[in-house]
Amino acid sequence: MVLRNLKKSYNGRCVLELDELSLEKGKIYAVIGANGSGKSTLAKLAAGVLGHDGGRTEKPDLSIGYMPQKSFAFRMSLRKNMLINGDDAQRAQELLGALKLGHLSEAKAKRLSGGETARMALARLLMRDYELLVLDEPSSAMDIESTLLAERLIRDYRDRTGCAVLIVTHSINQAERIADEVLFLSEGRLIERGSPEKLIKHSENEITRRFIEFYSK
Amino acid sequence: METALHKAIELIFSGSALLEDIVWVTVRMSLASSLTALLIGVPFGVLFGSGSFPGKRILVVINRTLMGLPPVVCGLLCYLMFCGVGPLRHLELLYTVTGMVIAQIILITPIVIGMMEPFVSGIYPDIRETARGMGISRIKTLGLLINESRYQIFSTYLMALSRALAEVGAVSMVGGAIAYKTNVMTTAIMNFTNMGNFTTALALGIILLAGSLVINAAVSLMQGRAETWC
Ligand SMILES: Nc1ncnc2c1ncn2[C@@H]1O[C@H](COP(=O)(O)OP(=O)(O)OP(=O)(O)O)[C@@H](O)[C@H]1O
Ligand SMILES: [Mg+2]
Repeated sequence: MVLRNLKKSYNGRCVLELDELSLEKGKIYAVIGANGSGKSTLAKLAAGVLGHDGGRTEKPDLSIGYMPQKSFAFRMSLRKNMLINGDDAQRAQELLGALKLGHLSEAKAKRLSGGETARMALARLLMRDYELLVLDEPSSAMDIESTLLAERLIRDYRDRTGCAVLIVTHSINQAERIADEVLFLSEGRLIERGSPEKLIKHSENEITRRFIEFYSK
Repeated sequence: METALHKAIELIFSGSALLEDIVWVTVRMSLASSLTALLIGVPFGVLFGSGSFPGKRILVVINRTLMGLPPVVCGLLCYLMFCGVGPLRHLELLYTVTGMVIAQIILITPIVIGMMEPFVSGIYPDIRETARGMGISRIKTLGLLINESRYQIFSTYLMALSRALAEVGAVSMVGGAIAYKTNVMTTAIMNFTNMGNFTTALALGIILLAGSLVINAAVSLMQGRAETWC
């Protein structure tokens, strides 16, 4: 699948400029980059939740699931939050269980902690089968154990549905663990993309090397 | 003063037909105007808070201006519309409860919109992004937005009701405070005071205050629930 014309500017300042992005079904892509490098903008454009300016983003006709950087809990129980995105009650319970929220299914979602809210939001999104999954820092509020559980859940989902996954992360370790390919963004541009091994360990690009070096300190 | 208070309380429990009628007209008028204002105002508040269309900012500014419309000005305008030479004279609304309800709707609807709009525009971006991210239909997203606003709608309603109960300027001009017809508590308090009948005025004042107390207790309970219960 190819997404074309991923461009966005605010008040004349271009925050993302990408002509095209090709993704393969069944693969997991990690997007890394500094604060403000345009990762969330890329995720939103890919997911189609952001108004375009000028050049409209062209997307193949796919079902896309998107998890925003800021998770939102609806004012109802966790179980009902899950059922917003589908009606399979058993699947809802399994997904909550997979992220260790099973015992909270009747609790008020607004009362969850930050990490718990993110876990619920991920589980809620996975209620439905999408062809492209876009996750904006799904585990940035989660502890290590939950992060690993979430990664396993995402991988299982990918294996079952054969979807492509675009996952924004600040963790180089996470990118190495989960991604088939890493995309490095800087100042709204795609600097480099490649296998984790190549991009993280043996990049020939000066900007990438500096970024990775800084992060692994 | 003490005996006046004593007599007023006695009067409240004496089952006076005049008092009963005044309270009944007040309740009818306030419920009709606050509920209608809510039915008109909530959709507009939601639209202003969640929609984006040309002219929205201007409409919001106009609404803020209308929120500050002095009741007597509203009363005057309605009077001019409904009176013997006014354009709406054939509707025969002057000195009727319906006419008073219309005047109050004009006063209260902007307040309902003004309480809903900032609330909705505060929560809508997150809801929209989350719902769109799941691929949920617009109509279902609207349902989620309204569900998320339920406490705000309720406390807005109570606010509208207490405004309707306490308002005097517009209803006295449009209704004319006719006994057993359009006399409500606030206008009756004014009349009885002018006549020197402080006992009845005080009795009505106490009833009005008690009503307001109940409403405000409900609002505070609601806010407590919205914060802790969620
Ligand atoms: N609504 C907006 N108005 C103006 N500028 C914006 C808006 N949204 C984003 N930006 C700018 O666009 C740039 C890219 O933002 P984006 O959210 O994509 O960054 P990011 O890579 O996701 O950063 P982070 O790691 O902090 O999440 C930032 O400089 C930001 O200030
Ligand atoms: Mg971001």
